[in-house]
Amino acid sequence: MIIFSDVNKWYGNYHALVNVSAQVKRGEVVVVCGPSGSGKSTLIRTVNRLEDIQQGQIAFDGQDVNASGLDLNKFRTRVGFVFQQFNLFPHLSVLENIILSPTRVNGLKRAAAREKAMGLLERVGLSSKADAYPGQLSGGQQQRVAIARALAMDPPAMLFDEPTSALDPEMVGEVLNVMKSLAREGMTMMCVTHEMGFAREVADQVWFMDAGTILEKAAPEKFFSRPEHPRAQRFLSDLRSH
Amino acid sequence: MFDILHNYWELLLMGQYPHGALGGLAITLILSLLGLGLAFPVSILLALARISPMAIFRVPATMLVYTIRGIPLIMVIFWVYFFLPLLIGRTITGFTTMLCTLVIYQSAYLCEVIRAGIEALPKGQLEASRALGLGYFRTLRFVILPQALYNMMPSMISQFVSTIKETSLGYVINVPELTFAANQVNNQLLTQPLAVFSLLALIYFVLCFSFTELADYIERRITRKRAGRARKNSGNATGGLPFVTLPATAASKENS
Repeated sequence: MIIFSDVNKWYGNYHALVNVSAQVKRGEVVVVCGPSGSGKSTLIRTVNRLEDIQQGQIAFDGQDVNASGLDLNKFRTRVGFVFQQFNLFPHLSVLENIILSPTRVNGLKRAAAREKAMGLLERVGLSSKADAYPGQLSGGQQQRVAIARALAMDPPAMLFDEPTSALDPEMVGEVLNVMKSLAREGMTMMCVTHEMGFAREVADQVWFMDAGTILEKAAPEKFFSRPEHPRAQRFLSDLRSH
Repeated sequence: MFDILHNYWELLLMGQYPHGALGGLAITLILSLLGLGLAFPVSILLALARISPMAIFRVPATMLVYTIRGIPLIMVIFWVYFFLPLLIGRTITGFTTMLCTLVIYQSAYLCEVIRAGIEALPKGQLEASRALGLGYFRTLRFVILPQALYNMMPSMISQFVSTIKETSLGYVINVPELTFAANQVNNQLLTQPLAVFSLLALIYFVLCFSFTELADYIERRITRKRAGRARKNSGNATGGLPFVTLPATAASKENS
């Protein structure tokens, strides 16, 4: 579903991604973790080309992401992306946030888009908030709306870039629950997150990144009990020690 | 002073009209409104060029804005007055000259206001929109400009107030606006310049003060709305997003 082959990215002289090769299979949930500055967010952002790469290849659902003839906007409607800061549009109601892309990019009729959006809001448990504005919602609610917005185009895979890092602790659960139910429904997911409980519960693979490379790829039970790479061992013990 | 107003209000309000050309306060207002109205779309284009990553748009727009902001308005008036007829090969009226001048001059200032409004938006807004598949122009139209222009409304009204005051310079090229009309009154009375020009100042003041108050009112409303939203959310739940929404009618409906 998502295949990275020898991906390299530089910011000026800084080598942000170093020979990354990895694969997310259809229906799989991959959790990407690692210390800050390790390149996790950069990696996930290369999939819908929020970041360009200088070398290598990324394929999404069989499509070369960096192909020159690619209709980028059309392509992006097929990649669900959820941001750390939610990034809902504050001047639009919850419903308008969700139907913006379906109606304006895919030309879906407003009524049909509305109906679909209401279904998605129900799925994330927020049907009563359809006409509210983002500023009236809590962070957790906003992030759930952002997930519904990303789902509105029926993407074959969803990308999450630290979806719970900007949330107050008591709101993390509601967002993770939505993500877990998505995972159980068989959605292909790539999540950059520090929620190790989530990784343990639903991930099929954990990728540990440091300094722009994936140091370890393992099933969660193996990664958490017997990490191989010393850097991963240190990372995990730092997480546990407080 | 009130005698003057009583005897000459028609001249001050609308010049020679209906026996001659429209003038006075009417022309001042028409010039200001048209000037700002036409400068508005131009300034949006200029602002986009100013923040464009493409040097071919950015460099000329930046040079234009810096040049215009670096010279007095009256220089621009003279340029348009003397060079525009040469350029297009026919004479133009004082009104058109002044209108062109105001559009050029105001675009440069308004452009900076709009640019600031766009740049003040969190980068995530642009990214989220692009990630949803909206292209550059759709992103501008549906996501960036509605927020930026709404946030910048008070500044744009202030800009309108400057435009009103700047129309008075039309006097030097015989545009029959308010200052010109006042001068006509003064020429007829000969002995009361203090009263005439005090009256003129008062009219400008009332006009501009009203618009400044309007700008303050709108600014307070935006601030209040943001504060209201912040109070409703516990803590910093919105993650640093600006609490911008549509005008109160839409928002209060949701609250009730």
